[in-house]
Amino acid sequence: MESLLVNSVEKNLTQFMFSNAIFLCERLLADFPSEVNLQLLARCYLSNGQPYSAYYILKGSKTPQSRYLFALSCFKLDLLGEAEAALLSTVEQQVIPGGAAGHYLLGLIYRYAGRKNSSVEQFRIALSCDPLCWEAYAQLCSLGVAEEASTVFGNVAAQRLQKTHVPQRINFSEGETKDQLIDSDKASKDISVWQTEHVPGENQQDLKVKQLGAEIPPDTDNQRNASSHTNGWDLNTPSPVLPQVLDVPPPMLYKNMRRPEVEGLMSVHGEPRKKFVCEEESSEAPEESRRRRSARIAAKRKIPMFHHSPSESNGVPSLSSMIGKCRIQSSKEATTSGQSINDTGSSVDDEQNSNPRGSSLDPFSLMSGISEMLNLLKILGDGHRSLHMYNCQEALLIYQKLSEKQYNTHWVLMQVGKAYVELQDYFSADSVFTLAHQKYPYALEGMDTYSTVLYHLKEEMRLGYLAQELIAIDRLSPESWCASGNYYSLRKDHEAALKMFRRAIQLNERFTYAHTLCGHELAALEDFEDAERCYRKALSIDTRHYNAWYGLGMTYIHQEKFEFAQHQFQLALQINPRSSVIMCYFGIALHESKRNDEALKMMEKAIVADARNPISKYFKANILANLGDYHKALKVLEELKDSAPQESSVHALLGKIYKQVKLYDKAVLNFGIALDLNPSTSDAVKIKACMERLIVPDELETEEDL
Amino acid sequence: MATESSESEEEGKISGGNEKLILDDDLREMGKNAAWSVSSCKPGNGVNTLRDDNLETYWQSDGLQPHLINIQFQKKVRLQLVALYVDFKLDESYTPSKISVRAGDGFHNLKEVKSVELVKPSGWVSVSLSGTDPRETFVNTFMLQIAMLSNHLNGRDTHIRQIKVYGPRPNPIPRQPFQFTSTEFLAYSTLR
Repeated sequence: MESLLVNSVEKNLTQFMFSNAIFLCERLLADFPSEVNLQLLARCYLSNGQPYSAYYILKGSKTPQSRYLFALSCFKLDLLGEAEAALLSTVEQQVIPGGAAGHYLLGLIYRYAGRKNSSVEQFRIALSCDPLCWEAYAQLCSLGVAEEASTVFGNVAAQRLQKTHVPQRINFSEGETKDQLIDSDKASKDISVWQTEHVPGENQQDLKVKQLGAEIPPDTDNQRNASSHTNGWDLNTPSPVLPQVLDVPPPMLYKNMRRPEVEGLMSVHGEPRKKFVCEEESSEAPEESRRRRSARIAAKRKIPMFHHSPSESNGVPSLSSMIGKCRIQSSKEATTSGQSINDTGSSVDDEQNSNPRGSSLDPFSLMSGISEMLNLLKILGDGHRSLHMYNCQEALLIYQKLSEKQYNTHWVLMQVGKAYVELQDYFSADSVFTLAHQKYPYALEGMDTYSTVLYHLKEEMRLGYLAQELIAIDRLSPESWCASGNYYSLRKDHEAALKMFRRAIQLNERFTYAHTLCGHELAALEDFEDAERCYRKALSIDTRHYNAWYGLGMTYIHQEKFEFAQHQFQLALQINPRSSVIMCYFGIALHESKRNDEALKMMEKAIVADARNPISKYFKANILANLGDYHKALKVLEELKDSAPQESSVHALLGKIYKQVKLYDKAVLNFGIALDLNPSTSDAVKIKACMERLIVPDELETEEDL
Repeated sequence: MATESSESEEEGKISGGNEKLILDDDLREMGKNAAWSVSSCKPGNGVNTLRDDNLETYWQSDGLQPHLINIQFQKKVRLQLVALYVDFKLDESYTPSKISVRAGDGFHNLKEVKSVELVKPSGWVSVSLSGTDPRETFVNTFMLQIAMLSNHLNGRDTHIRQIKVYGPRPNPIPRQPFQFTSTEFLAYSTLR
């Protein structure tokens, strides 16, 4: 009965029938109490969103798996101390349960507790254990301490992946022998050698190579012959094989072959494969040298592909069919290992029969799969890291390197959108986000940034519509409420906006942006103390959230505490050294503290940093006018007037300065234009007052003349 | 300026009222930073009811006319508009008829700024504090006093359901002489 129950529970878990699973698991535990069954019940509870139940039943368990699940439950219940204790209860670091996942969890715990260095260490270990633990790298990026993607996802990572994935091969395929294990070792050495040739910059090439490898169709006799050689190659050195493999058919055939491969690949690995395949499809022109590599890779690939499928229960049929198709050289291997040889896809059934879970995998295809995955991660890692360093232009260039299919995924589009936002290019950001939202209306991550973009563009209607849409999709996601808040804020209803942002915070305490937005609203309501509190809360969650530093600086400027303001802007600039807006306000703070030379220098820096930013020039002109340097100010403003003719304040300031230099005609002209351009009521009053005072001295003059 | 259903400028009469308060974008409510007091009130219908955003509750005076509502600020503020919610259909003889708005530094030097006569109002009534001169768009003052000089049907006491006081929005960009108007400038002017 025990095994029956265990199987049933597992099946229920995979089919998401949690209450049934819990029920059966309780029966199981009653009759057969054991640690393993206890873990199974905990898994049921965790899947069903009952971390407290899992917490109670696992309390005091000692086995690593139990400790990991217990730590996870504690983490979900926000009991960070207990979670940490559970993960660390053995002294040796090696034995952290859950491997990479355990280290990642520990890293998160340390980060939430504010222990940055320990968390960084844990994330690094997690990455070295499992290079595919992308989240660890993302955390490192957001902490600002990520290493270059090429080192993290480089040779060491490849070897690590090979070590973890290749040995499993043996378990599955009947025919697989130690020979093949040796093959894989050699192959891995080959690969590492091969990979050292392909130093980071060659991503595209690598991919193309792999494509070629994958494409080599199985049906030519030449290749069969070659395959025997490649077998030999597996055992010995790769080079002898290459010349023969060069007889590979032309690229066009590859394309045809590729499609089915693509399917299979994708089914095996989901996303990573997609990228792999897409990269293949994107580059169409193989070259001589690449063909060689591709041949090697092709041979390698078949096994890795099979290899991976055991872990993925859904990928088998298509995988085997695909593998069947791309089996060139390894046809011989196939026979020896018991795998079916495929001619033109007839091997599917054979493969399936002999290897129900896609056992015998070609170590070479595994290698190429690994290297492709790592290359993709390198690009994404580079881009992500650049974005977090606010090196946005570079990030955009890096993301352009991706294949079209990978680029159009939600995550990448969000990254690209955020890069545009950081560059203050709200129009491009708008188009990217709109596209992403259309394609993936269910994906809410990053929609808070989208709502900010619409806020900046003053698109009230679209913002309102977006907010309503998001809330309809998920009332419990903080991003939806951030969007609503931004809508009310755009309509100047700051109280309502504050309410929305507070709701977002309730839903997720650690949603940094919601705290910052709260701060902005409170500042708009002139409640500077509470605004400060909100900003500091945001900073306690994420010190590198430079918007909060900026917000703090602005509140200090409003309160006329200019030295404090300077300090905040300096910190903000340390995090994002390219933001012209921060530089502008830093300049203002300096000017108000009478450090005028530095202020002007800062404005120059701002102008250089972003030539499209009109504010920096306007502020500069204002400072010059305040310092009495009217002619320079006029020059700057005249330039600005040409590039932004619709801005009332430019003309108003021009008028004011012309009045100072006694060019009354021009002053009146500019005041008139300013009034025409719809200034706010108080400004209109000011301008009219200035105009009246101008006309009076004129009248006095004419009277005198008369 | 707020929209009004009908107003004849010469006589300062306002009839009707709006159900919803419709305002310009560049106005903001200033009542939160003020101390509110009234000349007299009936227990249970005190000064809180004027600021509770609830149109069901009302302030009821309990003394001699004129009944006064005093709004005192800590520093001089620029005010542009006063909005009152009154309803003749519900309050009949308690509805104010002649209202005088006065401003000054304190109780000792209040001067009348505006005087209006309401004719069977029902809803939000906006009293603009601006004079005809563009320089007089705002009233720059420490204190505002709203005096109910007489009621409809010669009622003795008065009901007011809600009051809001509006002034111009300050420049969101600190230390700048003028506000930005174009989208481009505004987009670049803040980080969010």
